[in-house]
Amino acid sequence: MAKTDSIAKFMDGVASRGHEPSLANATGTVRFEVVDGKKSERWLLTVTRGELAVSRGNARADVTLRAPRALFEQIFRGKANATAAFLRGALQIDGNVELIVLVQRLLPGPPASRRKGRAAGWAARPR
Amino acid sequence: MNDREVKILDGNTFVVSDSRGDIEASPTDAAGLFSFDTRFLSRWILSLNGERLGALSVDDLQYFETRFFLVPGTGTVYIDAKLSVIRQRTVGGGFHEELTILNHDEQPIELSVRLDAASDFADLFEVKDALKKKGRYSNRVERGRLVLGYERETFRRETVISASERAAFDENGLTFAIKLAPHGSWSTELHVVAGMGTMETARGTGRRRKVTMERSLERWLDAAPRLRCDWQPLEAIYRRSLVDLAALRFSPEVAGGKSLPAAGLPWFMTMFGRDSIFTSLQALPFAPDLAAGTLRALGEWQGSSLDDFRDEDPGRILHEMRYGEMTAFEERPHSPYYGCADATPLFVVLLDEYERWTGDRKLVRELEYEARAALDWIDDYADLLGNGYLSYQRRNEKTGLENQCWKDSWDSISFRDGTLPGFPRATCELQGYAYDAKVRGARLARLVWKDPALAERLEQEAADLKRRFNRDFWIEDGEYFALALDEDGRQVDTLASNNGHLLWSGIVDKSKARAVARHLLGPRLFSGWGVRTLAEGEGRYNPIGYHVGTVWPFDNSFIAWGLRRYGFKQEAARVAAGILDAAEFFEGRLPEAFGGYERSLTKYPVQYPTACSPQAWSTGAPLLLLRTMLGLEPHGDDLIIDAALPSTMGRLELLDIPGRWGRIDAFGRGRVEIPG
Repeated sequence: MAKTDSIAKFMDGVASRGHEPSLANATGTVRFEVVDGKKSERWLLTVTRGELAVSRGNARADVTLRAPRALFEQIFRGKANATAAFLRGALQIDGNVELIVLVQRLLPGPPASRRKGRAAGWAARPR
Repeated sequence: MNDREVKILDGNTFVVSDSRGDIEASPTDAAGLFSFDTRFLSRWILSLNGERLGALSVDDLQYFETRFFLVPGTGTVYIDAKLSVIRQRTVGGGFHEELTILNHDEQPIELSVRLDAASDFADLFEVKDALKKKGRYSNRVERGRLVLGYERETFRRETVISASERAAFDENGLTFAIKLAPHGSWSTELHVVAGMGTMETARGTGRRRKVTMERSLERWLDAAPRLRCDWQPLEAIYRRSLVDLAALRFSPEVAGGKSLPAAGLPWFMTMFGRDSIFTSLQALPFAPDLAAGTLRALGEWQGSSLDDFRDEDPGRILHEMRYGEMTAFEERPHSPYYGCADATPLFVVLLDEYERWTGDRKLVRELEYEARAALDWIDDYADLLGNGYLSYQRRNEKTGLENQCWKDSWDSISFRDGTLPGFPRATCELQGYAYDAKVRGARLARLVWKDPALAERLEQEAADLKRRFNRDFWIEDGEYFALALDEDGRQVDTLASNNGHLLWSGIVDKSKARAVARHLLGPRLFSGWGVRTLAEGEGRYNPIGYHVGTVWPFDNSFIAWGLRRYGFKQEAARVAAGILDAAEFFEGRLPEAFGGYERSLTKYPVQYPTACSPQAWSTGAPLLLLRTMLGLEPHGDDLIIDAALPSTMGRLELLDIPGRWGRIDAFGRGRVEIPG
């Protein structure tokens, strides 16, 4: 199923990062509840001072994110912004919000955004 | 006197009413109960037997509490009233109002006490720009309460109104039918709760109560150094600053509930990168915890990906966070918006200055990743022309900010003849901040992160930047630094207050500093009250132009710090004296900006028409001026004190200054003669 893929793909990508230096201050568990009609699919992300691990299942979490599948898919592809979705009430957050602010760093930006400056590979002009 | 605006606030919840306590908002004014950038009450009007009341007096008890004394009738002539009404209102998660009615007559009386209530649920952006709503309203009466609701897709906001005494609720308010005995009294408690829909769970249920707020204010005032001065107004100014700063503290729950200064009331009760950093720098000798809160919150929200809509880059520090409907639906980019070019280097500057004062290396270690990412951003993402200078150009061309420096209005950066340069623009002070960030980053790398290679690289880059800057920005014939370089590297040749920030950052060659100081205190920039944002004689100069001629107290406090850094003690004292004299005229509360008119012309400072007040970095200005006048400078585990005070100050004592030394007292006596 192509639908399941983009969520599983994101989770696989997170798991394969192993250590994420930008999360060195973060420790805790985040549950993603992907709502699909009456069913929901659950993913558990465990962060231990930047070490990332992903599993499935119902373990207790420090914070739970809950949203319809379509919204999670958009967020994981950088096509929707998680903070705006939260303010809109489309993404529900229950628990330790601070952890979520940090974990947001794993989310991609919009695919069409442009790089500028040296990061875009511009050759420096002579100084 | 019914027109006077009364504001009370707690964090980002605030109430603006008239002096009767009534709220009657028009679509474009900021009256109402606001929370998280949404108006939860636009109408709240008290009447007795269908008649409005008149205000006798207003007591501002605390910044979060006000008491209104009222009598029936709104006429200008005081009639011998048989009734009086007291409304005592406390803000917090909405507000709480204790309504008391006293009968002074020997006869009993029956009264219909009515409160009209309504909400337009306007986003602050809509109030500012008078925009139309897109969702649906629903008012419903439930058992013992009135619920005003607004809904747009999954976005829900609710105002829940209830009372401790029996009331008849309808969709437009509530009515009490009461009987008062001769000389009797009646009272009720009214609760207005701002509901955030599904955001509620994340916001936490434990609302701060009045007691906690009072204790918190007491603790705050107790923890601050004590000040005594022969020049009496300074004590009042100092106290006003501390209380206003306490009021502007803000604990954004979605950022972990830490306390940092919000930018200002009423439009800017939110997290701002630049304003929070500058205010924390100003307050360091007085309330160092604010800096820790600012660094943590801004660090957590540091940009991590590329996002054109939000002008976000990895490592970039945010400009502004908003919680309202337009942000939620991405009609505005403030979730958060990153379009500011100075907060990122200033983040590193604050981190270092904080360590110098407090010795808190734990926080410096904790924020190592963020500080390195901020330093990387300067060269990797902000050198837009590849010429080695930090510049800015928005990628969000619809709702992003054109000018991403502190002078962020559209016309703030111009050539002498008034024409506007193209983009990207590299304003001069940004280069100063970048230089300072590298120098300070190098110190932290060596001292705390134990990375001498990084330290060396940063020091080399800083030295190189300083050398190039003094060559490329210096205007030979004028003997000052250009306001900016344009997209072709041409000097934007106006003379502006930004030169003072250059002194503060230390990027100015010693040989050029005297000329810069002469300009800052010269007739084109110095008004007698302070340094103008733009020099008289420039094409766009206007003494009441927002960033093109007004005097900004915050700007001046950093200019004074810069003057001291280069040894210009007397000049710094003159700037301090001017701004503090102005503060006396504003009853201790400096506005965001005031007119750039010559002091001898107006005799008093002319407030800028729509200036926001209290404004955090104006509130912080007297604090930084105290630091500069006393010449307070941490040196290892000691605090150096080297006072240079205006002679009009007499003796000044600042006792129990907190820092890595424990607590230290500073004394000074005014010896600098101020001309004029």
